[in-house]
Amino acid sequence: MTATVADPLARLGALLDRSPAFDPATLAALDRAERFPADACAALDAFGLPAHYVPVEHGGRLHGFGAVAALLRAVARRDLTVAVAHGKTYLGAVATWIAGDPAAAARLGARIAAGAVVSCALTERAHGSDLLGGELTARPRAGGWTLDGEKWLINNATRAELVTVLARTDPGGGPRGFTLFLLDKARLAPGALTPAPKVPTYGVRGADISGIVLRGAHVGADAVIGPVGHGIEIILKALHLTRTACVAMSLGAGDHALELATAFAAETVVAGRPLADRPEVRRVLADAAAALDLAEAAATVAVRAINGLPRELSVLSAVAKAFVPAQVDDLIARLTDVLGPYGLLGPGFRHGAFGRLERDARIVGIFDGSSLVNRNALIDQFRRLARAWRKGARDDAGLAEVTDPDAPPSAFRPAALSLVAGGNSVLAALPDAARRVRATGPAELAGLVDRLVAATGEVHAEMAAFDLRPHAVPPAAFELAERYELCFAAAAGVQLWLRRPVDAPRLRALLVRALDAMGTR
Amino acid sequence: MSDLTAVPTPESLRAWLVDCVADHLGRAPAGIATDVPLTTYGLDSVYALSIAAELEDHLDVSLDPTLIWDHPTIDALSAALVAELRSA
Ligand SMILES: Cc1cc2nc3c(=O)[nH]c(=O)nc-3n(C[C@H](O)[C@H](O)[C@H](O)COP(=O)(O)OP(=O)(O)OC[C@H]3O[C@@H](n4cnc5c(N)ncnc54)[C@H](O)[C@@H]3O)c2cc1C
Repeated sequence: MTATVADPLARLGALLDRSPAFDPATLAALDRAERFPADACAALDAFGLPAHYVPVEHGGRLHGFGAVAALLRAVARRDLTVAVAHGKTYLGAVATWIAGDPAAAARLGARIAAGAVVSCALTERAHGSDLLGGELTARPRAGGWTLDGEKWLINNATRAELVTVLARTDPGGGPRGFTLFLLDKARLAPGALTPAPKVPTYGVRGADISGIVLRGAHVGADAVIGPVGHGIEIILKALHLTRTACVAMSLGAGDHALELATAFAAETVVAGRPLADRPEVRRVLADAAAALDLAEAAATVAVRAINGLPRELSVLSAVAKAFVPAQVDDLIARLTDVLGPYGLLGPGFRHGAFGRLERDARIVGIFDGSSLVNRNALIDQFRRLARAWRKGARDDAGLAEVTDPDAPPSAFRPAALSLVAGGNSVLAALPDAARRVRATGPAELAGLVDRLVAATGEVHAEMAAFDLRPHAVPPAAFELAERYELCFAAAAGVQLWLRRPVDAPRLRALLVRALDAMGTR
Repeated sequence: MSDLTAVPTPESLRAWLVDCVADHLGRAPAGIATDVPLTTYGLDSVYALSIAAELEDHLDVSLDPTLIWDHPTIDALSAALVAELRSA
């Protein structure tokens, strides 16, 4: 299994190192000019990356979702704009893998493998995170549907050949009032679709962030993805999957930040000594590495949960999407605090790569559900999670799969995805895992895992006691959600370490970072 | 409440749901009508899924939480549940 994952990853690494399209100076110039990185995307097409976006059952090479996440992370580590631009096809197609009929999925798979760009249009000018507010409408007509309205702030809306569109099909709206369509631009009548102009953005400046306007756009009945009226359910499930890919891109940005800051500290000589010799610089670099390990642990388990713990994915993916981009933004901010005054952000260091990264990385915390939206999704499930914790409910087979990166992923079962989770096996198994660390691990870890178990118990007790009202979520619930995320990430770190118990100091740093952030001592 | 697991009837389910919804909303059960959509009370659709999930735990059966989207009033949901439990 490892071989099939590592192979494309190693080949992709070689491409990123050697292809002139990925030359940092070239990519920096494109960003300054706000131009799309077309050559880099073409190089990824030629490499065959799109086939990794398509499940094996639909003709592609996607089996375990951890593998595609690793590929996207590697691209993001080089250039986040390219990852966001190319990876969008993966995000745009997921609804069809979940709910499309097999023939439609096979057709889409073939198009993607041949290089078609797929976009996903949910957001509207007046309705950002609020999917149920959408006003773009589809009305039935003989043999199909007519779509009217606008989608705006959409990645690749202009470049895409195919667009997944969420449309209101019941004038009254509601959770069964929307339907998903896969539009094939080439099959629309001239004038039915007008692209909206590119929106200048703070980060990922070269990306095609634009929109579409549909006017009397006729599509056949075969354009519908899944049952009519089930668009919200399908897209929420699709977001559970795609959030793990956003998280992978965020990790790639974190890798890049740490790489750049480490090189900068080694190369910048002040008063006769490299910055890397200073204790405060060493400390911030070590902290950043621990933060990234913590984020990686949460991300690794969440993405493997698509195959291994699909029933818990609604919670695990929300936690990862809330946690990882926030950790990465935070580590970038702390590196900037210490190294910024010496010129880390300036144009003089690696074509201004760090300054650009600082802008680009923030975007990941906004799309596919912001950190707050994901935290809110977690808070909605507090009561049930607290009850599951009390009962110790867990899925041991699923847990074994998601915490062992060498375990072969089980087959993807869209029917097992659920909008709510029965529990969180990673946390339920923490007390047992802690016992194993205490029994077999080095003494330096024992006290830390005990504190983690205690903190996790407290978090769940507070969750159970919280008097939540829909629409009136108090700020304290968001703070509690953040502590839940830290418990989860740290517990994931412990579980992963138990599978391969080497480098205890690294786990120690991860645990210290999580416990410090929770404010426990 | 626990006698529900034995023989759920539309009446017992309705009573349990009224209590559950009232508890979530912080209102008196007497103020919850069973024939209006739950969204009337400001319960948003995604939040409503957690109520369906509690029902699942309470009955100790496997339910698709979106059942509450297809049957958005307490009356409709109770009836649908009884039908679902019978067929299971
Ligand atoms: C670069 C980029 C690419 C994008 N690509 C796409 C794309 O391909 N397809 C697409 O459909 N959309 C895309 N979007 C749109 C993106 O999904 C929206 O910007 C996002 O949904 C937020 O919407 P909004 O900006 O209108 O903010 P709002 O939804 O109005 O939110 C405003 C603030 O309230 C917070 N908030 C909102 N709801 C809640 C809640 N329930 N609980 C707590 N806090 C909440 C938000 O976090 C935010 O801070 C893209 C956006 C950007 C910037």
